[in-house]
Amino acid sequence: MTMVLSVANTLLPLLYLLVFGTYLWLFRSDNPTPQRVASRLAVAVVLLHLAAEIARGLAYSRLPMGSKLEFTSALALAILATYLFLERRRRVKNTGWLPTGMAFLLQFIASAFATELPQPSPLLKDPGFAGHAVLVLLAYTALTLSFVYAVLYLLLARQLGRHQFGLFFRRLPSLDVLERMSVGAVELGVPLLFASLVLGHLWMYSLADKLGPAAAAQLSPYDPKILVSWVLLLGYAAGLMGYRFLGWRGRRMNVMAVTAFVLVVMTMGVIRHFVPSFHDFKQLQTERTEPPVRHEVLLAYSPAGEDA
Amino acid sequence: MNQPATLHAVTINHRHAPTEIRERAHLDDERAIALMVALAAAEGCVAAIPVSTCNRTEIYVELEPGHEVGPILRAALAEVGADARLFFGEHARQFAGADAIGHLYRVSAGLESMMLGEPQITAQLKDSYRRARAHQEPGPGLLRAFQGAFRAGKRVRTETGISRGAVSVAFAAVELARKFFDYLCDHRAVLVGAGETGGLAARHFLQHNIGQLTVINRSGERAQELAATLLAEREAAATAPRETDKQRFPAAQAECGRVDAKPWESLAESLVTADVVLTTTGATEPVIMPEMVAAAVKRRRGKPLFFLDIAVPRDIHPDVADIDGVFVFGLDDLDEIVQGNLAARRKQLPAAQQIIDEELAAFEQWLGDVDLRPTVAEFKSYLEELKDKQVGFVRRKQSAEVAAEVDRSLQQFIKKVLGRSMTTLKTAESPEERERDLETLRRLFGRD
Repeated sequence: MTMVLSVANTLLPLLYLLVFGTYLWLFRSDNPTPQRVASRLAVAVVLLHLAAEIARGLAYSRLPMGSKLEFTSALALAILATYLFLERRRRVKNTGWLPTGMAFLLQFIASAFATELPQPSPLLKDPGFAGHAVLVLLAYTALTLSFVYAVLYLLLARQLGRHQFGLFFRRLPSLDVLERMSVGAVELGVPLLFASLVLGHLWMYSLADKLGPAAAAQLSPYDPKILVSWVLLLGYAAGLMGYRFLGWRGRRMNVMAVTAFVLVVMTMGVIRHFVPSFHDFKQLQTERTEPPVRHEVLLAYSPAGEDA
Repeated sequence: MNQPATLHAVTINHRHAPTEIRERAHLDDERAIALMVALAAAEGCVAAIPVSTCNRTEIYVELEPGHEVGPILRAALAEVGADARLFFGEHARQFAGADAIGHLYRVSAGLESMMLGEPQITAQLKDSYRRARAHQEPGPGLLRAFQGAFRAGKRVRTETGISRGAVSVAFAAVELARKFFDYLCDHRAVLVGAGETGGLAARHFLQHNIGQLTVINRSGERAQELAATLLAEREAAATAPRETDKQRFPAAQAECGRVDAKPWESLAESLVTADVVLTTTGATEPVIMPEMVAAAVKRRRGKPLFFLDIAVPRDIHPDVADIDGVFVFGLDDLDEIVQGNLAARRKQLPAAQQIIDEELAAFEQWLGDVDLRPTVAEFKSYLEELKDKQVGFVRRKQSAEVAAEVDRSLQQFIKKVLGRSMTTLKTAESPEERERDLETLRRLFGRD
């Protein structure tokens, strides 16, 4: 199994690169070949990547999001899969090069820096955490796609504003479509982010009951990552309200979408590296006083275990 | 040996004939029908399909083997009062066999059109084909050739970018608008000016199902007149039976294409709700001023406003373009778009020609099998007769279900035998061997 995972780790970035290259070819030329094969190739890569994720999950008996890099790889998969869904729904193929390019970049990072996790957190086996992590993944996927389409909007608007009728003018869909795709992704991302936060809170309280007092004390609803996520959620929700009820449209709306996403990435990066947060789960792990007596990991953190 | 009929094409088109010659060669509906009837009655002629548009008049003729197109066509043209000399003069071109089919396929794909890749020619060919079928039964060669031409045209347009992008200024205006709003039916256009140019631009937007078109003109009466004319044209074209007319309003939708007229005083207010503003007045000074637009933009909450100024001198003050959220385009921009699209279309020519060659090869293969069909059909009929007898016998002895099962089984058997026979006949090493095989098949299973 380790060998299979190792091959997948090497193969996946190459496959993502192939998909990106095909979509770029499709964007730049009228050749019917990429028109025919791009989506099929992307579907095949999604299925292969999904199989690799399942294999990884089975091999380690846990959710295959045990590290930043595993999460990055899952994000690449989610972006490609969600893009394919949007492509089918909107029947627009010419925008594929940017999301597939982002997915390639993420998968390349995930594969290039992949290392074996010495002791992945046992929390990864908990269904509550799995639900929370998957929802977060989907929410970030939606927000990434919103960013992608907002960038395309701004690129096209810039060309139109400068009276340049080049490649973007000829190949991209209308500003209207790009804006709707960007907003549509936010409409998907906001409820997902909200659900992930709610589930995260519920899981946090249930986990606190099972941990020792010192570890439980670290599980705070005022954790910087949680607070920033709520602020971002409110920001995106306000943007949506503006779009729906106040008629916010056009360049400013898309500049807001790009800015919001850049803020998401920057704040999360800053928090991860400079602000202490229980979200790295390392401290929670060190709180364990006794080795687990049963295979159910959470029992290892139970007050009973600690007393013993 | 059962020889295939030969196909011929005689054409007078924009490449080799000036407008004056094309006008003289034009065949109206009545004359085209008369020509078809005359040719169908002529000895040696199987059928004919004339095609006449503003850029070309072409006559496709299917002849029995051993006949020449010249005398037959000359006589028929003379009979219907057309100038036969034009079709055999210096401005005409004649093609025969594969060249004739290749020409038809290229015409259908728009490769021979004045505007490379333009789609209207396919509709015109379809109209001619339907008209021909209504008055005669085209021969198998012509039938197959036209069907192949429609397929080739469709493939070229869908598999290459030969028809992509506007190649006329009026369509470029629509294309530009569609870079802002994909589904024009959800949007409003305001036409400022009710002159000829304005009417033409408005027609193009209506063809592409703009949701609402408001005509604003200094003279309210002219605005009302133009609005009424546009509405009437739209309704007439939507119910037209001809393919070419339908194409003028491709997917006319009831909820789109509303047209009204408003007084000049409502211009500033119209900018608040408009998405596209077309200006075509004959005014010597700008009529759309920056203050007017800035006030409207404030009330639009960032929604982009697209101006298209096709008036000379310009109707829109140059400072309007500097307002955030406002895009102003003019005739130079439209011309740049057209030139860019034409260059992009020309790049598609090799890919288009490849498709034409593939379709031509398919036609030639079909043509190559023509001599096999009558004998194989007789063989099939013989086998089916045997099958029916056998099934009838089973039906008398067994249940209907068993008889049906035997029928299905024997049908499969016949299919396999015929498939094998066709393959063997096609792979004969020489025409003599093929003829020998056919003769054997005829002797064994023929009707005579």
